[in-house]
Amino acid sequence: MKSEKTLTGQLLSNPVPVDSSTVLLSAGSLRHFGEFMVPIAVLLALWELVARFGGLPPSLFPPLEDIFRALLKMSGDGHLAADLAGTFTRLFQSIAIGAVFGTIVGTCMGHFRMWERALVVPMNFLLAIPGTALFPLTMIWFGLTEAAIISILIYEVALTVTVMTWTGVKSIDNSLIRAGRVFGANGLSMLWRVLIPAAMPSIISGYRIAFSRAWRILIIAEMLVSVSAGLGYRLYFAREYFQYDMVYAGLFVVGMSGLLIERVILRTMESMTVNRWGTVRELK
Amino acid sequence: MGELRVEQLSKAFPTAQKWGRSKWHTIFNNLQFSIKSGEFVCVIGPSGCGKSTLLSIAAGLEEASSGSVYVNDSPVRGPGLDRGVVFQEFALFPWLTVRGNIAFGLKSKGVPQAEVLARADKYVDLVGLSKFADYYPSRLSGGMRQRVGLGRALAIEPSVLLMDEPFGALDALTRENMQLVLSDIWQETRKTVLFITHDIDEAVFLSDRVLVLNETPSRIVCELKIDLPRARDRSDPQFQRLVKQLDSAIRGDNNTTKHFGDN
Ligand SMILES: Nc1ncnc2c1ncn2[C@@H]1O[C@H](COP(=O)(O)OP(=O)(O)OP(=O)(O)O)[C@@H](O)[C@H]1O
Ligand SMILES: [Mg+2]
Repeated sequence: MKSEKTLTGQLLSNPVPVDSSTVLLSAGSLRHFGEFMVPIAVLLALWELVARFGGLPPSLFPPLEDIFRALLKMSGDGHLAADLAGTFTRLFQSIAIGAVFGTIVGTCMGHFRMWERALVVPMNFLLAIPGTALFPLTMIWFGLTEAAIISILIYEVALTVTVMTWTGVKSIDNSLIRAGRVFGANGLSMLWRVLIPAAMPSIISGYRIAFSRAWRILIIAEMLVSVSAGLGYRLYFAREYFQYDMVYAGLFVVGMSGLLIERVILRTMESMTVNRWGTVRELK
Repeated sequence: MGELRVEQLSKAFPTAQKWGRSKWHTIFNNLQFSIKSGEFVCVIGPSGCGKSTLLSIAAGLEEASSGSVYVNDSPVRGPGLDRGVVFQEFALFPWLTVRGNIAFGLKSKGVPQAEVLARADKYVDLVGLSKFADYYPSRLSGGMRQRVGLGRALAIEPSVLLMDEPFGALDALTRENMQLVLSDIWQETRKTVLFITHDIDEAVFLSDRVLVLNETPSRIVCELKIDLPRARDRSDPQFQRLVKQLDSAIRGDNNTTKHFGDN
């Protein structure tokens, strides 16, 4: 009896470590910001060296100054804001729809045998058809409109997220599902109380792949379909008018946007879920 | 309050398919025993004899080939919140905190939100984890994890507690500590417990009665009452004697088996 009390006492008087989630926004984020800015600064410096001293024509390798001037001009005349707004609206609309659809269908496929049997073959069939190959089709259906782009993005995102969620749910440790059943999770509540959180590492990987695929398709799609504003459209437009500095500025914005999506949205999602739970290792 | 009855329970698993006909591996045949309300019964037996299978059937996670398990006279048909299960591999939900894990079953029960927290905290306290209530399982030690497992099972206030080698994955010192914790909690709550183990010492320390199974197709080869007062002292000669008796029963010593079978 006595020995138990002292053992328990020792256990409980251990110093309580600081919860990493509480420091996420203070010292840690400054260091993270530094970690991610340094490589960019190095790249920019290299660029400037090549542009100034490489002896290449400035139309191919404009110095940073010109690119930034083009960037300033774009943001000054409101084009940049409109392009970003256009591109991001398309992206988020389709990601939201595709991700919700893919997460639910993928989870059901991973858990219910009927769903899996019914959907594996069509899924594999569709996986062989790249979203971009559907452009001729959606252009016939919707004309050169937003809908032609968004439908393809939804297709690509939904398919990617479905596959990743399905495999993620299938590899959930059976003991978690047993525990879920014993403690009263069944049917729908099994999905959202056990399966989705348990498969979260794969689901987030799915979102990450879906994001990057959708982003690539979106930029190209905006070049093909003449929407009024969008980063891809701006690139195409700039090339038509031989504004090479504008092409580079546009590419810079495209790259930065992708980076920010990854850093701000996906990383936040991860640190709020799988990193906090400790189900995905964080590198020290 | 919580009585568990195992009646004519049989279980066979299909094994290799031969010429399209599956062969069956009988785990146990017509197993029969019951646990009185408030009684602590240990089931002990060699590895692979079907202890986990028995517990899974009682938990409603596995179907019996024939026969039934009754809890308070109603047959088990699938999992239910009248039975709390503690798993050998802990099986905690890593995305929930200690408190969240313990509250999981309460939410399924439809306990009102305000009461869920109060009741979860009561059981967080009972298993001695109040300082760790907001921790995620990944940051707990093995012993602490199984305390959460125990708290999660107790929080739904089940009629019967089913435990499958709950301390099997812990080191010797932590295991003894957890046995004391469980013994204290049991004396406080007087739950009906079906406890599976292959540690003889643990069985004698914890239970009112021990059932010994033999190799498959397994049956109860020995039943032994443990009448020692609690809390028990392992160095007590009486305790040692019971451990020896169980040990020889498990090793299949026929004389002893017969002798204790009368018990
Ligand atoms: N799903 C299954 N399919 C086929 N055979 C199974 C299945 N589950 C268990 N078995 C068999 O049933 C027998 C009993 O298994 P069980 O897990 O109940 O043993 P146990 O007594 O708990 O052993 P241990 O002490 O090692 O945990 C084993 O021979 C095992 O191979
Ligand atoms: Mg077992």
